[in-house]
Amino acid sequence: MIDQHHGQSTAKIEDYEPIVGRGYIEELRLLGARLSGKTIQNINSTYVGGGVAEILSHLVPLCNQIGVDIHWDIIKGAGPFFDVTKKFHNALHGKIETLTEEEFALFMETSQNNLRDLPLYGDIIFIHDPQPAALVLKKKEIGKKWVWRCHIDLSDPDPKVWGFLHNFVVGYDSAIFSSPNFAQKLPIPQYLIPPSIDPLSDKNRDLLPETINSVLKKYNLNLDKPMVVQVSRFDYLKDPIGVIAAFERVRHNLDCQLVLAGGTASDDPESITVLKDVRERAGNNPDIHILDIPPNSDIEINALQRAATVIMQKSLKEGFALTVSEALWKKKPVIASAVGGIPLQVKNRFTGLLVHSIDGAVYALRQLLTNQEFAAWLGENGHQHVKQNFLITRELRDYLLCFIYLYSSGDVVYL
Amino acid sequence: MTQWLEWLSDNWTIVLVPFLVFASIYVIGLWIRILLFRYLGGWHSWTKWRGHQAVANSTRRPILDWFILLGAYIAVQVSALSAVYKLLAGLIISSLFIISLAWVVANISDKLIRLYSDDENASKQPTRIGVNVSRAIIGIIAALGILSVWGVPVSPFLLIIVVILLVIGLALRDTIPNYISGLQMSSGKQIKVGDFIKLDSGEAGQITAINWQNTQIKSLQGEDIIIPNSKLARATLVNYGRPLKKATDPFHFYTRLHLRELTGLKAGNLTELVTILKDMPDAVVYYHVHHFLEEHLFLAPEPANDFALWISNTLGNDILGERLASIDTFTLPNISAVKTRLIDTIEDYLRNNPDSRKAPEEEEFHFVRSISFILPTPYVAHDLGEFVEVLRKVTIDSIYFHIYEARLRLQKGTNDFSIWISDSLGEKELADRISNIDPYVYTLENLRSRIIEQVEAYFR
Repeated sequence: MIDQHHGQSTAKIEDYEPIVGRGYIEELRLLGARLSGKTIQNINSTYVGGGVAEILSHLVPLCNQIGVDIHWDIIKGAGPFFDVTKKFHNALHGKIETLTEEEFALFMETSQNNLRDLPLYGDIIFIHDPQPAALVLKKKEIGKKWVWRCHIDLSDPDPKVWGFLHNFVVGYDSAIFSSPNFAQKLPIPQYLIPPSIDPLSDKNRDLLPETINSVLKKYNLNLDKPMVVQVSRFDYLKDPIGVIAAFERVRHNLDCQLVLAGGTASDDPESITVLKDVRERAGNNPDIHILDIPPNSDIEINALQRAATVIMQKSLKEGFALTVSEALWKKKPVIASAVGGIPLQVKNRFTGLLVHSIDGAVYALRQLLTNQEFAAWLGENGHQHVKQNFLITRELRDYLLCFIYLYSSGDVVYL
Repeated sequence: MTQWLEWLSDNWTIVLVPFLVFASIYVIGLWIRILLFRYLGGWHSWTKWRGHQAVANSTRRPILDWFILLGAYIAVQVSALSAVYKLLAGLIISSLFIISLAWVVANISDKLIRLYSDDENASKQPTRIGVNVSRAIIGIIAALGILSVWGVPVSPFLLIIVVILLVIGLALRDTIPNYISGLQMSSGKQIKVGDFIKLDSGEAGQITAINWQNTQIKSLQGEDIIIPNSKLARATLVNYGRPLKKATDPFHFYTRLHLRELTGLKAGNLTELVTILKDMPDAVVYYHVHHFLEEHLFLAPEPANDFALWISNTLGNDILGERLASIDTFTLPNISAVKTRLIDTIEDYLRNNPDSRKAPEEEEFHFVRSISFILPTPYVAHDLGEFVEVLRKVTIDSIYFHIYEARLRLQKGTNDFSIWISDSLGEKELADRISNIDPYVYTLENLRSRIIEQVEAYFR
């Protein structure tokens, strides 16, 4: 049984059959059966908001439908605790943060409270991200299998915060990371499980042409002009200024328009400044459209991606950048930087074009805007690549294998 | 006698003219027949139409008969006979012509039906029925023609025939499609008695009889199954030709899934790459040799191993990348041999070409270990017919397991399919054919099709 008190996806596992095939779903059921008798307890910090809650709201019901006894609980903590964990998050991402001893102490105090109050009943306790990481301290007392799922980019973590967190992580039976770049030197097994997209969600499902057109009209976009789109929040690390620079050079010879679609986050005051700078940089160029799109506008983002001729993700630094998989799923040619998890999604010249500079982006844009067949070939390959490797069914399968392997060993496991 | 001679001497023109007319038309007929058959011969050598012989044999003699009839008709018309006799002779000659023409058309029709149903003696029921029906139709048309020539009204007969045909059509509305399908199958040489067939609806067995309504097969379990010809014509069927041999042991299809374990080790240049590679277990090498193939199974021909790809694309060393890409994994017995070859190739290159190129940040080579999970699927094959059917529907992971994993990682020397076909079915030649397919030059879907093609071709 799953807990019913949080908003979960209503998609049925059978709904994915037309996409991944019946055999794939049969395999998931076979794996689910191998976990019969085991209870899996997910623990994170919130039921709503944020990427982890979104992933769990999809994965938990699907897991349940293939016969796995899976539950989802959250830790409790006051505002100051989450301020600290937000700093942890930023520091692990490589941002410079100053954390005091009091803040570390507050983290421990809240963790102790949760250790006291939160029932840990799973045979496999599946902890997501740093906030509940210290719950593993209970392992010595209750045993069980413990898995830490890190959804964060750990490629360049703040040594102090990672050193603190490392003390807990080594207590787990295994850890899961989204990209090989995020792997750390740890005495426990680390598994690579990239995140995924849900092809049935509003962000990725097929849209009617009328829906797409109405979104384009809403934002005063030219329906007949080739459209270069980058979807990402307004952040210098996504290099929106670099995208504008590349676009302006391409625009000299080719008639096209640029759409930078994103949002500003209330917990990220810098995004307001970035948006202002981007608008200033764009000036009065009628072919550059800066769209500040409110949160939860999934269908609008979907429509913009589907209307795009080329999609860019010219980030200077990235986590996994699932926006790339979203674009590829829609069969769009993608130009992206070779950072973070992007090289896993874009194999240069097979499923998209990888670039390292504005010059590279200009060259790639010219190639794709003028060679429609090549662009379509990349888009089709990208779609197949995502279908094979970055759909939610693959992520679900990887988790099941990871759980099963907690009770096995060796290079080859016969189930 | 004298009177006769006197009459002939007075009226010799009355006799001679019709005779000359008749003889002239006969000669013209001979000449036209020669020209016509010469033309037909040329036309045949150009078109190679199979029915040419049937038409030629059936018309060679009758054409001359028709000119004789024509000659006789014109001779009568120019003779001194009275109008009544001329009319009577005209009717008789016309009737004879219709009978002769009907005979020729029926003859050609018989031969063509037999020819296209590949049944010289009309021994198959659909062919026999086809011949009889065509004869009946031609006979009726000829009879109506003769009646019409003699001035008998044919409309009532036509009406009666139409009504009879409608009644027969209604009575045989379920049967006619079967019959037509039977004819189609016979003419298309799709199946014959003795063939082993399998329908997409699951029925399988050896054909024991084909009649005008249905086809009878005997299943491997010994049951007689009767399939309406119309259903057979609509079905997707596999014709294995000869009966399928039962395997001594059935083939159980397994599937293989994998979990990727991060070693936490990464290389930024060639020296680091080869140093770390030396200490890596086979499971890591296996992953990097097959990773691109698995993740990009839609690309053909797929790029080679991860090492070659990284060295070419990230370090920009196309020469070494090409050397590593050209390592023929298919010819190496196990993954340790692949690893040795990779290390030797990189070290050979470095000895002569010190290379200090470094990968950009975040583009290092990360060593990943592959953990395989092997699990049974519900699919089992007892013969090659079932084998092909299952092969069409198992996941690509299952094919991957039985082809790649079995050969290189589980060190069986060849793939599981070939081992089963050879050991349990005794079909060594087919086993070798499948074993000789280089799986590294196909996408997994193309590999699936290639194996199915090999099995089906073997039985044709």
